[in-house]
Amino acid sequence: MPANAPAKNPPEERLVNLVVALMATDQGLTKDTILTSVAGYREQSASGASKDALEKMFERDKESLRGLGVPIETIGDWADPDDLREARYRVPTTEYELPEDIEFTPAELALLNLAGGVWSESSMSDDARSGLRKIRALGIPVDEPIIGYSPRISLRDPAFPALQQAIEQSRVVKFPYLKPGEESPRTRRLQPLALVEYEARWHVYGFDLDVGADRTFLLMRIVGPVAITRESFDASLREGAGDRALRGLEAVAASNWSLLEVNPGTEAALRLARRAVPAEQGIKVSYVDAHIFAEELASYGPEVRVVEPPELRDRVIGRLAAARDLNGAEA
Amino acid sequence: MSGRRSLVATDRAALMLQLVPYLIGKGEVSIAEAADEFDVSPDQMRAMVEKLTVIGLPGDGGYWQMANDLFDIDWDLLDERDIVVITNSVGLERAPKLTAREAAALLAGLQLARAIPGVGDTELFAGLLAKLSRGASSAPAEVIVAPGPVDEVRDAVAAALRQGVAVTFTYKAPDAGPTTRTVDPVKVHIADGQWYLQGWCHLREAMRTFHLDRVSDLQLTDIPITHAGDPAPGWFETADDDVVARIRFPEPVARLLGDYLDRAAVETADGMTTATMRVADEVSLRRLAARRGGEVEVLEPAAARRAAAEWAEAGLAQYR
Repeated sequence: MPANAPAKNPPEERLVNLVVALMATDQGLTKDTILTSVAGYREQSASGASKDALEKMFERDKESLRGLGVPIETIGDWADPDDLREARYRVPTTEYELPEDIEFTPAELALLNLAGGVWSESSMSDDARSGLRKIRALGIPVDEPIIGYSPRISLRDPAFPALQQAIEQSRVVKFPYLKPGEESPRTRRLQPLALVEYEARWHVYGFDLDVGADRTFLLMRIVGPVAITRESFDASLREGAGDRALRGLEAVAASNWSLLEVNPGTEAALRLARRAVPAEQGIKVSYVDAHIFAEELASYGPEVRVVEPPELRDRVIGRLAAARDLNGAEA
Repeated sequence: MSGRRSLVATDRAALMLQLVPYLIGKGEVSIAEAADEFDVSPDQMRAMVEKLTVIGLPGDGGYWQMANDLFDIDWDLLDERDIVVITNSVGLERAPKLTAREAAALLAGLQLARAIPGVGDTELFAGLLAKLSRGASSAPAEVIVAPGPVDEVRDAVAAALRQGVAVTFTYKAPDAGPTTRTVDPVKVHIADGQWYLQGWCHLREAMRTFHLDRVSDLQLTDIPITHAGDPAPGWFETADDDVVARIRFPEPVARLLGDYLDRAAVETADGMTTATMRVADEVSLRRLAARRGGEVEVLEPAAARRAAAEWAEAGLAQYR
C-alpha cells in the first residue's frame, strides 16, 4: 500500500458502525445520510470514492448483516413502494434484541450448556457456541454443570449444511441420489422440509417434486453436491414437518419386521436385544432400511440367522458371499 | 470446539455485536476469560476490545463524532491489568436474537440431552424449546434428533453416577468370554446412538470404556467411587491395540467406515484406498469385512484375512 493512501478501516468496524447507526434511529436513515455520516463509509465518501462503488458496498453490507440475523428494515416511499431512491433504513430494536421477557433459569442454562456441546467439529458446533454466548450474555447465573455425560452427534454428511440452508430459505434443492443396487445416481428435486437423525443416520424429509409426494432420503446416499435452486416454496409447508418425518420413519419401521435366530451371549444377541421382541422361535426386530439392516446382520456372521423376510435374508447372504470371495485367496 | 480459527470480516462483526452485551453483563472481565468465552486468542480479544473504541454513532451532519458518541473502555485497567471495563456505551447493550442456525443447533442438542435419564423434566424441555424458538430472528430449519430406547442398564448407570457409587456387571466383549467387572463410573459417552460407560475398572486397575449394549446384570454397589478425578484417556483409546492391519476399499466407501479411519494412515490411487491402522486383535476386522461385504478387503495380516473369509463362510453355512 502506498504510504499516502488513506488508512482503510477494517470492514467489520464499518458493519458494526452501521448496526449502531441504524438502531439509534426511529424514522430511519437515507442511503445518502448513511454514506456520508456512518464511519467506514464517511471517510471513503470524503476521499472521493465513487457513489456507485459506495452504494454497492452498502448493498453487500446489508446482505452480510441480514445473514447474521440483523433485521434491516427498508421504509420505502408511501406513494411508490418500489422506488427505493428515498428509502430509509433502520433496525428495530425489538426485532434485533433477545426479547426482554425471555429469561432463562439456572437449570435451563445448565441444560443448554450440555445441549450446546453435542456437536463435534462442524459448523453446527460454532453455531451452538455462538448461540450460547448470546444467552450467557444475559448474565444469568448457571447451576452446577451437568457432569457425567458427554452426548455427541456426528455430522459426517457433506450434504447437511446446504440442505439446512435450503430449508431455512424454503428453496427447492437438486441432488444426485444413489440407491443401493442402482448403477448410477439419479437427480432428485425436493422441497426440503426437515432434517432428521434416526438410528444415528441423517435423513432429509420433503416433498419430492418428480414423484409428487413426501419422501425421505438418506444423506449418506447423496453422492454429489446439493444445488440450492432459485425456486422457492411456501414456508408454511415446513410447519410440523419434523414430526411428520419422524412418524413416517416410525411407520416404516413398524411395517418392516424380521424374524431372526441369534446365538445367546454373542455380540449379535447383545446388540440386537434393545430392539428385539421375543418370538416363538428367535426374536423379531423391526428395521427402516433393508440394505442397512443387512449390513449390520452380515457383520454378525454366524451369530445370527435371518429366517424372514426373504429379501433381507438374500441381502445378508449376498454380503457374506461377497466378503468370503474377496478375502478368500491369499492377498 | 472451533479453537483459534481465522475469521472473515462478517464473523468478526458478529463477534463484536456479541461482545458489547457480554462485557456490559460482566461489568469487569479479564482478557483471558473473554478470549476463552469467544474462542479467540488473548491478542485477538485485545484487538477486538480496542477496535470497539472507534465504533459509535454517526457524527451530526457529517461532522466527526464526539468522544461520547463512541464506545469507550478503561484504558488504564486494560494496559496495566488486562481487564476490560466499558465506560461509555452507545447501544447494543442487550444480546442479539439467535440466528436460525444457532437456534437449530441448540434445539437439536436439547433433543439428544433429553434422552439422558434424570436430566431435566418434560416441562423444562418444553419451556426451553418455546424460548429458543421465540428468541430466534427467523424460523430455524427443523433438525430432529430421535433418541434410541433407554433401558434399565442406562437408568441404573445414571443412578450410580448421581449417587457416586461403583457398579458391578457382566461384560461380554466381542470375541471374548464374559467377565464380571466392578467399575467406578466416571462418564457416559453417547455417540452415533451408542452409549459407552467410561470408568475405573477394579479388575484391570485402569480407566476402561464399556459399550452399554454389552453390559448385563448391572447392580449398584454401596462402594463409594474413589477414582472419579483420575485423568481419563481419550475415551475410544485402548492400550492394547498392537496389531497393524491394512485394508483396501473403493474410495467412496471411506465415509461409510466412520471412526474406523480416524487413526488410520490412508493412501488413495486409481480410486482405491488403502488404510493402515492398529487394531486390538487379528479377528476384529472380520466383522467390518462382512458388514461391507465385497467392498472392504483385508490385506494384512494374513491371519486377519483368513478370519474374514472364515467368518463370512460360517455365516453362509447356516443357510445351506
